[in-house]
Amino acid sequence: MLNLSHVAEQMELMVARLKVGEKDKSTRLATALSLLKDKNLDFAKLQDKAAKSSKTSPFLLAGIVEPLSTQKPHISAPADFSIIATDGSQVDVDRHQSTRCFLINIGRVRLDYGQNASAKLESLPLLYASDKDTVISIGHQEQMIEGPLLNLKRSVDECRHLVEMATGLPPTQPSLAIIDGSLIMWQLSSSEFPDFVVKELLDNGFMKYLDGIKSLAQKQSLSLASYISFPRSVNVVNTLRLLLCPNELADCSKHCCYKSIGQRPCDDIYGVQDQDLFFNMLNTGERSAIFTSQAKIVREKYGEHTVHFFYLKLEDEIARIEIPQWIARDTYKLDMTHALIFDQCLRGNGYPAALSEAHEQAVVSDSDRENFQQLLSTWMADEHLDYASSAKSRSKKTRWL
Amino acid sequence: MQDLSQTRLGEVIEASTTAFNAQCYELYSLPPLGTLVKTCEGDNELYAVVHRAFTEGIEPGRKPIARGKDEISEEAVFQANPQLSKLLRSEFSALVVGYKNAEHLHQYLPPHPARIHGFVYACNQKEILNFSRSCDFLTLLLNAKMETPSDELVAAVLRLMSASQEDTRAFLIKAGKELASLLGQDYARLKAILERIRP
Repeated sequence: MLNLSHVAEQMELMVARLKVGEKDKSTRLATALSLLKDKNLDFAKLQDKAAKSSKTSPFLLAGIVEPLSTQKPHISAPADFSIIATDGSQVDVDRHQSTRCFLINIGRVRLDYGQNASAKLESLPLLYASDKDTVISIGHQEQMIEGPLLNLKRSVDECRHLVEMATGLPPTQPSLAIIDGSLIMWQLSSSEFPDFVVKELLDNGFMKYLDGIKSLAQKQSLSLASYISFPRSVNVVNTLRLLLCPNELADCSKHCCYKSIGQRPCDDIYGVQDQDLFFNMLNTGERSAIFTSQAKIVREKYGEHTVHFFYLKLEDEIARIEIPQWIARDTYKLDMTHALIFDQCLRGNGYPAALSEAHEQAVVSDSDRENFQQLLSTWMADEHLDYASSAKSRSKKTRWL
Repeated sequence: MQDLSQTRLGEVIEASTTAFNAQCYELYSLPPLGTLVKTCEGDNELYAVVHRAFTEGIEPGRKPIARGKDEISEEAVFQANPQLSKLLRSEFSALVVGYKNAEHLHQYLPPHPARIHGFVYACNQKEILNFSRSCDFLTLLLNAKMETPSDELVAAVLRLMSASQEDTRAFLIKAGKELASLLGQDYARLKAILERIRP
């Protein structure tokens, strides 16, 4: 149990510290903004330094595609258009139960606007229980699907469902497919997962489905974007650090390895997030410049789907919109993505309406989880199958004095 | 009068001995207050009258919010938010007032409640005429505990039933006499109902 009176004392100290830091942060934000808006900035030089420093800088930089001070208003949304979105949630493997299974619940939404306004909301649960379904294997190597790996599998499934839905869209009408969260499968870049897992989930999974959407988008007016609410990324701020770095190449391990945070020349903008910058620079509905992700996994694996992104100013927050390269390079699709995402946010009270509904369809509540376990145990008992649970699990369910 | 013999209104989603709730298949396709409806339970055909109807969000935690400030019509609100029609549902509640078994009609409670997922139909004119030959069911309505005032419900049922009769006046006089015998000690209540069914 949580002793709130002890926590309250610590909170008081935390808030006091934040209050002091707020003053410094606003100075750093002003510095960052002046760099971002600098009309005399040597754009080509910065682009060159960013490209060269991407391998030597410890900071993840944003690749520069357009002038940093770009502020682009949205075009009007067309009269008739469709939005498709998916989201998912899961019931993970319960390691306190003898039965090994997991469930992925995908929420799918299609919203048609205009003359023939209509909606299709679906919740599609799928139980994975066989040995074949619950592991990723190649030869004698295998990796159990659970925890973080299940999250990744779910993301791949969400994308697969998006392709399925996109095939049913009217070909002549503008449409947008929205993915929740990032297009970058960050977790796969960690050394935690062996190559065959990356190949299965990324090359034979996520990338294959992005290929599917791209192939449909070549024949019809379809765009694709992922939506990140309240992003905490600092890629653009990291790129601005290059402007404060006096060295030709930002090789931090060479020039600043003995300097602590606050002592480095680029720390004048330390602690500022991209969203702080663009919240202060953009007007509602405007997008920022387009940037590219320099993440290693993107550079090595994404190819024609290389992740580009822009920030979008909403009434009360900044959203990060990620798009594949083939959208970023197609002015019509880019403008349509910008317009339709903003329109969705207006309809959804600050968050894309279709994503919000997809989430509602996908969500598995605590009581759903309990019912799932209950149903499973009843079913197993009816068939006289062993459904042993650990003592720890039983102790949590049955509390006593 | 339109023959409603096959008008399926919805499906039972909650049932007890005295009442049931049904969900409509289409949003706002609600039967009027006092409508005589029926549903099957084994060999029995249960009769009930609609005493309450409502429309709400499908999920208890999601409360509808005002969305029409910048829209020109109510229809435009649904056009701009097409998901709404899938996230709202209309339901009605009906009080059981009798049942039919092997052509015998009884105006008292059946042995078993309605079944979940049982289809609910609006009674057609012939069934209304048959049911309203007797007014014994009024006892059940007058004594029922519910949100809708029972006087309002009784009056609504009698108004609707009278519209199906060949001789409206004769039916209302018969019903009035039945009410007088049931509410003899409560003149104010009797008067209130009679004023509501006056042709």
